[in-house]
Amino acid sequence: MTTAPQTFELREPGSVDEALALLGDRAEDVRPIAGGTALMLVMRYGYFWPETLVSLRRLAAELGGISSDPGGDLRIGATTTLRELEASDIIAARVPAMVEALRQLANVRVRNVATIGGHLCHGDPHMDLPPLLMALDARVRVASLRGPRWVPVADLYTGYYETVVADDELLTEVVIPAERCEADTAYLKFSARSADDWPTLGVAVGGMRDGGRLSGVRVAVGAVGDRVSRVAAAESLLEGQQPSEELFGHVAATSAAAMVGDGDAYMAELVRVQVRRALAAALGGGRPGP
Amino acid sequence: MSGERQLRFELNGAPVAARAASHETLLEVLRTRFGQHGVRESCGQGVCGTCTVSVDGRAVSSCLMLAAMADGTRVRTAEGLSAVPELHPIVQAFVEEFAFQCGFCTPGMVMMAGSLLAENPDPSVDQIRAYLNGNLCRCGCYPEIIRAVRAAAVMLNDAGR
Repeated sequence: MTTAPQTFELREPGSVDEALALLGDRAEDVRPIAGGTALMLVMRYGYFWPETLVSLRRLAAELGGISSDPGGDLRIGATTTLRELEASDIIAARVPAMVEALRQLANVRVRNVATIGGHLCHGDPHMDLPPLLMALDARVRVASLRGPRWVPVADLYTGYYETVVADDELLTEVVIPAERCEADTAYLKFSARSADDWPTLGVAVGGMRDGGRLSGVRVAVGAVGDRVSRVAAAESLLEGQQPSEELFGHVAATSAAAMVGDGDAYMAELVRVQVRRALAAALGGGRPGP
Repeated sequence: MSGERQLRFELNGAPVAARAASHETLLEVLRTRFGQHGVRESCGQGVCGTCTVSVDGRAVSSCLMLAAMADGTRVRTAEGLSAVPELHPIVQAFVEEFAFQCGFCTPGMVMMAGSLLAENPDPSVDQIRAYLNGNLCRCGCYPEIIRAVRAAAVMLNDAGR
């Protein structure tokens, strides 16, 4: 069910500075477009029609690339495609959980053109990488004519399709801290339909060990409610504890209560089971439980 | 600005040009300007695969690509595999394995198979399933399609291509 298309102006700047100038010009009716897979859906369903689209197609030299900096932080350019991430030796070595997540994300054609920047800025709660990147303590660099700033992915989403990225801003880079690359991290996606569907529920867990005890635990959940978010209640229960099945079960039940409460019983059950499985997968030192 | 622009790109190896409105998709331009009816719209969301084409060597959903984004690129469609009388090995394999019934999904399946075999000349059944998981066949010919991709891989590897 698509609405009648409206024409718009498509600009193709040759530099990030030029792109920022275009975004800053008439901010409200201008949007950046990279791979375009998400934006095309939003436009075809009539939710949003920009007056101007600023294509990032020619900016791969400035906005692409995957690298480790001298301190070991992983840096990913915003226009890096999801397929490039999936095929990257660096990502496979440093963050194998991301490769696993990407293999279940949409399909090869979408991953061939969709970019990590666009993926993060879309703001739909039913997406795979945001919870994983929250569990990895990732942060993004957001640029505009007013200057750049850094935003933790955990603080990126304010509502359904709503992010803190302003209309005149452009996400340019994603950084995963070195120590989180070494953490035990897993993303478990549940989809009730086809293999390439959006998640019905996605749970990401990351954590480190201090002696036999858990430290720096992150639990992030997508597709519940209007935004992807970390589950503070789960994290505080896990911090400093020895991992055990009993603990994971308790944390999972607490997560379901915190995220769904008196809401949909089916979703509450999904959360309870999937959080337990994700905790076991990431922190249990073995296979996911039943 | 009217939002229309002149596009120049390569289609199945030949230089072509067309005027397109800014909102037109690559799928619409390929079908209406160039008669590429093997490029089809079914879901309009990029998940069914009937619109699969290759742009600069990468399989894309043409229903989600603005035609303007294909300006200056090399586009390939299933029509480009339609050599006669000697069929392209992938097409030959699909015929020999009866890997279609109504044929609606077939151009997209063939294009996606071609993309897979270019990246991975000897894919396992699991790898074929994963790679083609975004191509739907409502007639349910998935077992035959998987056999056809395996057969095509063997043919192409035997021919040293």
